[in-house]
Amino acid sequence: MTIPFSGNSLTNPFVVELLQRSWLSEKTFELELSRPGTFRFRPGQKIRFLHKGLERDYSLVCSPDSPRLSLCVRHVPAGLVSSILATAEIGTSFTLTGPHGYFTFQRSPRPPVFVATGTGVAPFLSMTRAGVAGFAMLHGVRTAGELYYRPDFCAAASLYVPCLSHASPGSALPPGAYRGRVTEYLGEHLPPGAYDFYLCGRREMIRDVTLLVDERFPDSPVYTEIFY
Amino acid sequence: MKTYVGSGDRGRTSLLSGERVEKSHGRVEALGEVDELNSVLGALIAALPQEQGELRGELEGIQVVLFHIGAWVAASPGSPILEMLQEIGPDHTRALEAAIDRIEATLPPLRSFILPGGHPTAAWAHIARAVCRRAERQVLRLAAAEPVERLGSVIAYLNRLSDYLFVLARFCNRLHGISDKVWHK
Repeated sequence: MTIPFSGNSLTNPFVVELLQRSWLSEKTFELELSRPGTFRFRPGQKIRFLHKGLERDYSLVCSPDSPRLSLCVRHVPAGLVSSILATAEIGTSFTLTGPHGYFTFQRSPRPPVFVATGTGVAPFLSMTRAGVAGFAMLHGVRTAGELYYRPDFCAAASLYVPCLSHASPGSALPPGAYRGRVTEYLGEHLPPGAYDFYLCGRREMIRDVTLLVDERFPDSPVYTEIFY
Repeated sequence: MKTYVGSGDRGRTSLLSGERVEKSHGRVEALGEVDELNSVLGALIAALPQEQGELRGELEGIQVVLFHIGAWVAASPGSPILEMLQEIGPDHTRALEAAIDRIEATLPPLRSFILPGGHPTAAWAHIARAVCRRAERQVLRLAAAEPVERLGSVIAYLNRLSDYLFVLARFCNRLHGISDKVWHK
């Protein structure tokens, strides 16, 4: 007897082909993969690479109606999977499962605030490409060179603030940028109120922003996606 | 990869539907009970003999369903995230009933209460049964305070699961040649 259950993502591996790789910065690239006709996902969800016993999750950056699947990957030199993805030849086949996760946009009367660090912008890009607009977005990076996808967010967001944590004091900042961490910006500039917070990125940011929300914006839901 | 985040260090946590709540919130309590049940099932699975592959698979299927039940419990009614959850319905409960009937057909009829215990696998099944009953009560307690989506299906499943675990405990004893110990007043 088998308990009826469908949709277990671990049971639905599918094969895709690497079609294109575009470098967005020194360490970050976008991959385009073939898309099986049956694959459906919601903006903000992720897929899982299976490779020789390893599993790695990556958020999709494409819209749900895109003919290809796109991912934003940060190359970690010591990272086995990201190194393979950074060097694999075009045409290489990969096995994936998915879609995974619940980090999707929820319509609500509260204004949405997207907070990302590094490649944590990925699910927000998928949402933006699916038509989500009018949100406030903070993108925390070390330097201005890591502000990939900036035009997409500038076009869709009501407020887009790059937060540069490692900009040298006195150095010129890109227009509208903030010198400091996303948490500092939120603490200093976001007016009191209730918002829908969407946090994606490093766990330190998730922790700090969540604790700040509890303290300063207590009636605000928090949706999180941690990038390890 | 580090497991900890630390955003719950001050006693609050996020529901699946995003709301920040105290960790003593009824929804978190109910989710915790379902989680404990799932963990005890894991202990039972780990204790089963290797040759019981089909039974292990059946229990792992139940673990997966419990994850989905946890998701329904952990999301507030009206949340758009509910649209993404795996449906829980009568088919799940019927599958448990079929399993109960299948197992029970291999057991001698029972005419009195039995003492929980016997073989370690049976003991785990009895613990799982008791935790399952507690999870059911906690979900009902939550439902008395605020709405729970798919409440009817969740309760029916947990109710039937505890019956399943009872016959499974007896089956585990029988598998190892241990007779049920009848309770004498």
